[in-house]
Amino acid sequence: MNIDLSRRSFLRLAGAGVAATSLGAMGFGEAEAAEAAHVRAFKLTTTTETRNTCPYCSVACGIIMYSEGDVKAGETAEIMHIEGDADHPTNRGTLCPKGAALKDFVKAPTRLTRPRYRAAGATEFQDITWDQALDKIARAMKDDRDANLVQTNEDGVAVNRWTTTGFLAASATTNETAWLTYKAVRSTGIVGFDNQARV
Amino acid sequence: MATTTHPDPGAIGGVPKPPLAILPDPDSLFARRANRFGFLAEHDPRLGPYLAFLADLTALQARLIDELPEPDPITRDRIELARASRMPPIDRDLQATDEVLHETLTVLCHEALSLEMPEPAKLALQAVVSADLADRHWLLENLLSDRIPEDSAAPHLFAAAAVQVHMARLASMLDAEALVPIRTGICPACGGRPVTSQITATQGIENLRYATCACCATRWNEVRVKCLSCASTKGISYRSVETEKATVKAEVCSECDSWVKVLYLVDNHSLDPVADDVASLGLDLMMKDTGFSRAGLNAYLAGY
Repeated sequence: MNIDLSRRSFLRLAGAGVAATSLGAMGFGEAEAAEAAHVRAFKLTTTTETRNTCPYCSVACGIIMYSEGDVKAGETAEIMHIEGDADHPTNRGTLCPKGAALKDFVKAPTRLTRPRYRAAGATEFQDITWDQALDKIARAMKDDRDANLVQTNEDGVAVNRWTTTGFLAASATTNETAWLTYKAVRSTGIVGFDNQARV
Repeated sequence: MATTTHPDPGAIGGVPKPPLAILPDPDSLFARRANRFGFLAEHDPRLGPYLAFLADLTALQARLIDELPEPDPITRDRIELARASRMPPIDRDLQATDEVLHETLTVLCHEALSLEMPEPAKLALQAVVSADLADRHWLLENLLSDRIPEDSAAPHLFAAAAVQVHMARLASMLDAEALVPIRTGICPACGGRPVTSQITATQGIENLRYATCACCATRWNEVRVKCLSCASTKGISYRSVETEKATVKAEVCSECDSWVKVLYLVDNHSLDPVADDVASLGLDLMMKDTGFSRAGLNAYLAGY
């Protein structure tokens, strides 16, 4: 270890002095100090890049959402930009025109954020509770299925076909959710149905 | 230009597979970097002198490429063994005693004596020039193990310039196709650590991230929004100086409390992984107060 020390001191004495940074050791301490004084007037901002899945269709393209502010650090965050995730094996950074317009989808003033209802003949939407909304949907589905369910085909074979109602489910779900959605929707007889499990 | 009017759907449907690694081309690498350092020096009233010195040093690196003897390429057996054991083909420990590297260091330091530099830098350079074999070995060994003792940053800076030249030439002789991914944040060619990472703007690999090896300048693909120090994808955020659109950001990992710079070539394709790292010293100065530590290696920015 003695050898190592003497070697180090040789090189240290020869050039570096006690400066701890490259700039200081090389004699550019003045430039370093000027830069340090310059940045004192500025602040750091935090931005985040968050991976997510495009909500539009069952292809489930990967996206990166750019926000200003860090929610995890207790700040409020605002989405600035959304683009395709180039690392994602499904879309390799590409997006269709709907996916490419996702930021406007997020920020749209008409974006649906709570259950609303427009009565037949009315011009205005009114807020309703989730319970009321689900009851109405269940009622409408039941009435439509009772009226239109096809139970036998031309050859008289028993079938379960409900062609007058369609169902569009989420794209960003787990395998298990996709499986359950498929089971529930298909068992009612709905044929016009799309979710991630299709792909 | 295509002379046929027939449509070519291949150009639309084809989504290229990103290469794992892009090997350095020493002939253009240092010349371009020297240009970038020169440009940055002209436009930075504060760091200008340091950037101008590094522009000269990098131009010297570029010039020496043609004059130095060729390094011995890594043997086929060695590459096969490395592949089979999922290790980088270049064993940096062995390079510390390599004759060509020692000659590179000697020649580079002799030539550098004619560059303009402040007195402390000149003293350090003279010390390296007159250093004996054991001392030179000590310098090279430190750099090849990503270590810069804090009391001798200046002699290591010159030695690092020699290591960069030698390692880039060695890496350029490899076959990029034959490399295998080692681990997040580890160069697949030499096992080195990144200086910075870049979001690329090159056609076919736009918006992907490539990390640049601080040692051999190989660029390798890394998943974005992932810590290059601990591979965590949790708790990643970015810090930049308050501007509308920052092109250099610190990718901060709250799992291991470290950060590495990301350069957005998609916003400015002129950014250089090493030159713009030095030119964005302001970000390092601001990050010093945050409690996070810098994980990007750069011998021109030792101490940060």
